[in-house]
Parts: sequence; C-alpha cells; structure tokens
Amino acid sequence: MAQTATLEARAGATAIARQPDWSFRYWLIAPAVFLLLLIGLFPLIYSLIVSFQGITMMTNDTSYQGFVNYARLFEDTRLWWSLAHTLLITAIALPIELGLGLAMAYLFLEPMRGRQVFVSLLVVPTVISPIVAGSTWKLMFDNRYGPINQIIGWLAGHPVVALWTVHPKLVYPAIIVCEIWQWTPFMFLILLAALSNVDRSQLEAAEIDGAGFWRTFRLIVLPAIWPVMAIALIIRGLDLVRIFDIIWALTMGGPGTMTETISVYTYIQGFQQFEISYTAAIAFLVIIFLTVIVIAVIRRAGLVK
Amino acid sequence: MITRREFGKYGLAAGLTAGVMRPAWAADAADIAVKAAQKYKGTTISIVWEAGLQALDPIHFSGPKWKELTGMDVKVVEVQTAEMFTKIMQDYRSGAGGYDALNVVPSWMPDLAQAGALEVLDPYVDKFGYRDALKTIAPVFRDNWMKANGKIYAFPDDGDVFLMYYRTDIFGDPKLQAAYRAKTGKDLAVPKTWAEFDSVGQFLTDKLAPKMYGASFFRQPPYAIFMFEERFRNEGGKFFDADTMKATINSPIAVKVLTDMRAENKFMPPGVEQFGFVENLAAFLQGESAMTISWPPYGRWAEGYGTDQEALKWVPKTTIAGKVGYALPPGGHPELALGFDLAVASTSRHKEAAYLFIQWLNSPKISLERVKLPYTLRDPFREAHYTDPGYLSLWPNAKYYLAALKKASETGLLDLSLLQTDKYEEVLRQMMSRLWAGDDPKAIADKAAADWDAVTKRIGVAKQQAVYKAWAAGSGAYPKM
Repeated sequence: MAQTATLEARAGATAIARQPDWSFRYWLIAPAVFLLLLIGLFPLIYSLIVSFQGITMMTNDTSYQGFVNYARLFEDTRLWWSLAHTLLITAIALPIELGLGLAMAYLFLEPMRGRQVFVSLLVVPTVISPIVAGSTWKLMFDNRYGPINQIIGWLAGHPVVALWTVHPKLVYPAIIVCEIWQWTPFMFLILLAALSNVDRSQLEAAEIDGAGFWRTFRLIVLPAIWPVMAIALIIRGLDLVRIFDIIWALTMGGPGTMTETISVYTYIQGFQQFEISYTAAIAFLVIIFLTVIVIAVIRRAGLVK
Repeated sequence: MITRREFGKYGLAAGLTAGVMRPAWAADAADIAVKAAQKYKGTTISIVWEAGLQALDPIHFSGPKWKELTGMDVKVVEVQTAEMFTKIMQDYRSGAGGYDALNVVPSWMPDLAQAGALEVLDPYVDKFGYRDALKTIAPVFRDNWMKANGKIYAFPDDGDVFLMYYRTDIFGDPKLQAAYRAKTGKDLAVPKTWAEFDSVGQFLTDKLAPKMYGASFFRQPPYAIFMFEERFRNEGGKFFDADTMKATINSPIAVKVLTDMRAENKFMPPGVEQFGFVENLAAFLQGESAMTISWPPYGRWAEGYGTDQEALKWVPKTTIAGKVGYALPPGGHPELALGFDLAVASTSRHKEAAYLFIQWLNSPKISLERVKLPYTLRDPFREAHYTDPGYLSLWPNAKYYLAALKKASETGLLDLSLLQTDKYEEVLRQMMSRLWAGDDPKAIADKAAADWDAVTKRIGVAKQQAVYKAWAAGSGAYPKM
C-alpha cells in the first residue's frame, strides 16, 4: 500500500515536473507554427473568402456573392481547355523525362572517366530559371537567328522555315523539348542516387541465376528504387501541372489559346484582367484537383503505409 | 546719381510692373515647378517608367538634372510595358503607395481613372499655372490623352505614331520604275492605299528577293493588333455598333483586312510572322526590306542618329542612311499606337512633389530636350517640337521626318480605349496569333467578335456603351471618310 502510495506520489511529482517541460516545447515550436499559419493558412483562408466576393479591377465589392464564381467555372470553356492542355503536356513530358532520366542514370551508374564533370554539366539546366530557359529556347527556335532551323536546313540541304512558336503543329513539340531539356537532369540525379543504393548482392545473385536485364530490372531494381522514383514523379508531375514560365516565354499561350495552361490562364485572369475573386475560385479548383490526384497517387504508389 | 536704396526701389517697381504686365502663361512652367519643388529638398519620389531605353531619360538626364535643381531624388522603377498596368494596379489595390509618379499608356486611362489609381491633376495645374502650357501640346494628344470624365488625369508625353519608312533609292531606281510601269501601267510610287501597297510590295519582291523584299512588318501579336486596328478603320471598319454595342470586328471589312494581312506575308521575308520590333528593325536597317511601318525611332535610327551612343549599341548598323523616306501608312490615318502619359499615383505620399516633377518633365522647355535625346524613345508631341530648328538640323532629312510626324499627329487614329481595354486587346492578340497560325479569317473574326460581346456583357453593356460613345466622339477615333 505504502509502496503504491509512493509510486503514485512519484508519478504525480514527475507529472508536475514535466508540466513546464511540455509548456516549454510548445513555446519552442510556437514561432514556427505561427509563421506557417501566417504565410500558409492565412492566405489560403483569405483566398477562400475572396472567392465568395466580387472583387474585380473595376470594383472592390467585398460583399458575399454566394457561389457565383464557382458556378462561372463550369461555364468557362477556356478554363477547361487550359486544364486539358496542362494534362496533355504532363502526360507527354513526364514519361519522357522519366525514361531519359533513368537511361542517363544507368549510363552514369558505373565508374567512368570524367563522370563527375559530366554529371555536373548535365545538371546545369535545372539551376537555370525556367523563364530564362524559355527565353533562350525562344531564341534557339527563332527562324531568323536561331540555330535549330539552321541545323535542320544544313541537314535538309536547303533553308527551312519552321515557325516553332507560331505554327500549331510545332508549338507543342517546342514546349516539350524545352521542358525535357530543363528537367530531365532532375530525374537523372534522383534516379542515379536511387540506383546507387540498390543492393549489389541481389543483382549479382540474379546474374548468377541467369536473369536477364529486364527481369532483373522489373523484379529487383524497380521495387528497390520505386519509393524514390514515385516521389520524383510526384514532384515533377506537380511542377508540370503548374508549368508557366516556359510557355509564357515561348508562346504566351498561343496561337490563340492553344498552349494556354491552367497557370497561364490563372495569371491572365488574376494579374492582367484583375478578376480577383474569380481567380481565387480557379485557385481553389486547382488545389482540390491537385489534392485529389496527389492523394490517389500516394495511395496507389504505396508510399504511405 | 541713383543710391543703392533707390536702385532697389526702382528695381522692385520694375519687377512688379513686369510681373503685372507679363501674362501668367508666359512664366516658364519648368522654372515654376523647380522653384516650388525646392521645399521638397531631400525627398525621394519614385516613378514607374517603361524598362529599357525609355528609362534612360530619367536615369541619365531628367532625374539627375531634377536633383541638381531641387535637391529631390528620383527613384526610377523600370517595368516592362506588358507589366506596367499590372504593377500600377497591384500597387494601388494593395495601398502600398510604392509609386509617386507614373508613366501610363493613354488607352488605360478609363480603367485607371475609374479604379481611382490616378490623382486628379486639375487643382495642381491651376495652382502651378500649367493650363496654358498644356494648350501647346499637339491637339490629337491634348484632346484625347489627357482627360477622363472631364478631369485631367495625365499629361501626354510621348507622341507615338506609326509612320511608313521606305527606300528612296529603290523607289527612284529608273529600271524598277520602267519595269513597274510596263507591268502595271502606273508609276512606281510610295503606296497610298493598301491595294497599291500589295501591288508594289509583290513587284519589288518578285524583282529583288531574296536580297530584298517588298516590305517587312512586325507581326508578333502585341504589335500586330495595332496594325489591325489602324487598317480596319482606314478601310471603313467600326469596332462596335454604337446602338447595340455588338462587336463588328467580324464584318466583311475585318475579314478582308485579316485575309490581306496574311496574304502580304508572302512577299515579306520568310518567317516574318515571328518578327517583333527588333527583328523588323534589323531587316529594314540592313536593307532587307523596301518598306516598313513602325514607331518613330525607326526613322531616326535608319539615319544613324544617336546609334553611336553606348545605349544604342544593340541597334543594327544602318546601311541605308540618306536613303530613307517618310510617309503616312496606306490609308493616310496612322495608329497613334501606345504612347505615354505622365500621371500621379493617388496613393502617393508625395503627390505635390510628384506633380511638380511631371510638370517640369512635360514643360515646353524640358520636353523639347527630352524628345531630342538620342537614346530614349520619346517622340515629339508639342507643336513646337515639330518645328524646332535644333531638331530640324539633327540629320539631313530630319525636316521630312518631322513633317511626316506632324502630319501623322493630325490624321492619326487613337487606340481603342474602353473599360478593361486589355480584355479586348487580349482577344485581338489571340486573333492575330491564330491568323498567323493559318486559321480561317472569318472563323477567327467571328470568335473574336463573340469574345468581345462576352466581355462587354460582363462589364455591362450600358456602362461600356457610354465609354465607347465618348471615345468614338473623339477627334481621332475614326477617320473622316
């Protein structure tokens, strides 16, 4: 009994002793939480409020407008086309970046002379600002001064007039080329790191057992690198969904609205036409859309158990 | 003998007499601004200015000079043209008050004034005696670029207008003249109509390509929309039915203009659809095209004026100096494309100081110096600018250049200016990019008209109609046929 009482007293004393400790922990994380709320949650909530108002360039109408802006989303065919363009670019660029990145990672997996220099050079495009990359590629694609048409002309044996940023059949290839050039090295780096960590003994065992390259890749390498690869795919996928700079620099969404992505359209609505409340509604549509996709991908990829 | 006291007395009397007898307008607007601004010594004002060459004016010339005269610092905020409206509105909407004075494109005035982003200048104009100096601004700019709802919001400060530039040696070539006469029965002359332009342009390309093409234009949509606006109205087109506010940019005239514009690309340098201001400038200055239409700096740079300056090192070396003629574009009513006004931000914390700076910049004396600066893009906008002896002697053909600019200012057409003008312009930009992409002109004109109608409906038909009617009543809205 006395022992029990002693134990209870000790537990109580410990609890009392711990109380300031808990409080101190909260104080420690409080600035970070406050900062997150300030720069993350507050704008989000504020945008949500704005999306139910009627603020435009002409009026600062902050009265409650109901779901007017959300209803407008469904009538806005340009918005849905911009979403379709975004998905098209993502669907084409992402697999190519993955495939090329993986191939390059395999190439540089084995020790070779000058490996570090090559890897450093290959990574250079990713450190360039996308707007600079887009502007540079616009010059590269220029019919008059750009090297692309000159090279094609040399190969063809006569001058070639290919208007990469004007012609409907060429604008998407131009965008995809620029996008792949800039971001394949990112995939390459991540996958190179993942491949370097694959268990060598398993690979050697498979080789001894006579497993071919594809079989080894499918059954040993892919499961080993999948968590990292899935993260890389999610990061790049999200980047592609919000692609703006390259398109703005190359085509500004043209010809017409043919290459307008959701980010380009949102920018035009928000910062050129000042449809503030409607833009907030678009932003929430995108947030919901992305959240659903990311959750689905994470579940499907088995990243969270 | 006059004593010192008497000298002072007589001097004061003479000064007072002169002050009374001298008309108020004769007082120099620049000096008034300087004197009044001296009380703001130590103040820093910020001014939004178009990035690049335009900004060299306040950075190298007017800013330092203003500081020397008043002790005020001028912070120049350089912004790309396409971003200027956005930045100004962002600053206003946020209430940040980051800008004191502004360069604004005149067609933005209804939006900026209605939003409340601009300060009404009438009280300052009266306080600092500037009203009479404003009367010496060329009428088309003074009457159309200064006011919204009857109030002064800005001072016209850059007389932008399209001119046609052509090669006098080509048009004067006896062999080409004979060949053209043999082919058409007409003289090879600078075209006055678009039909003549097509005929001459195709002929010169047939004769001279690939060394030289009949013409080259900038075709990138942000520029091409102004060429469409100009040509559409020269051919008799109207933007709207004023009674219903239904867009009429899909009329047969519009379809013909679009069809012809695309057809003309065939006698221009390959890839002209990608030409912007610089590509087209390079083509003309390097002798690759016989005719072009553009803003006034082309005329100066083609003669080599100022191109030895460090800031203009990027301008391609002209190969055509002394061989350049100036004319009004076909139709005779050139677009007063873009241009700039000076205004004061309503959220400024130094409104009077900012006002005094823009009055000084815009004053007859200082503006004359500024439009002659070789490295900026400021073009004549006061009557006296076109006839200034100093300007007339800047290069051998300057008198023809200034005469053409003056004529252009008298017959020029205003950019469309409505509520939310950019929404209408954005539709035109898309229309032009689809035109160069090869879409059917009728289909894209119909789409553009439908998009305009949707924009008008969203803004409010009656509200927009009132603004359109006021704009259309202006002297430069439509040519007098």
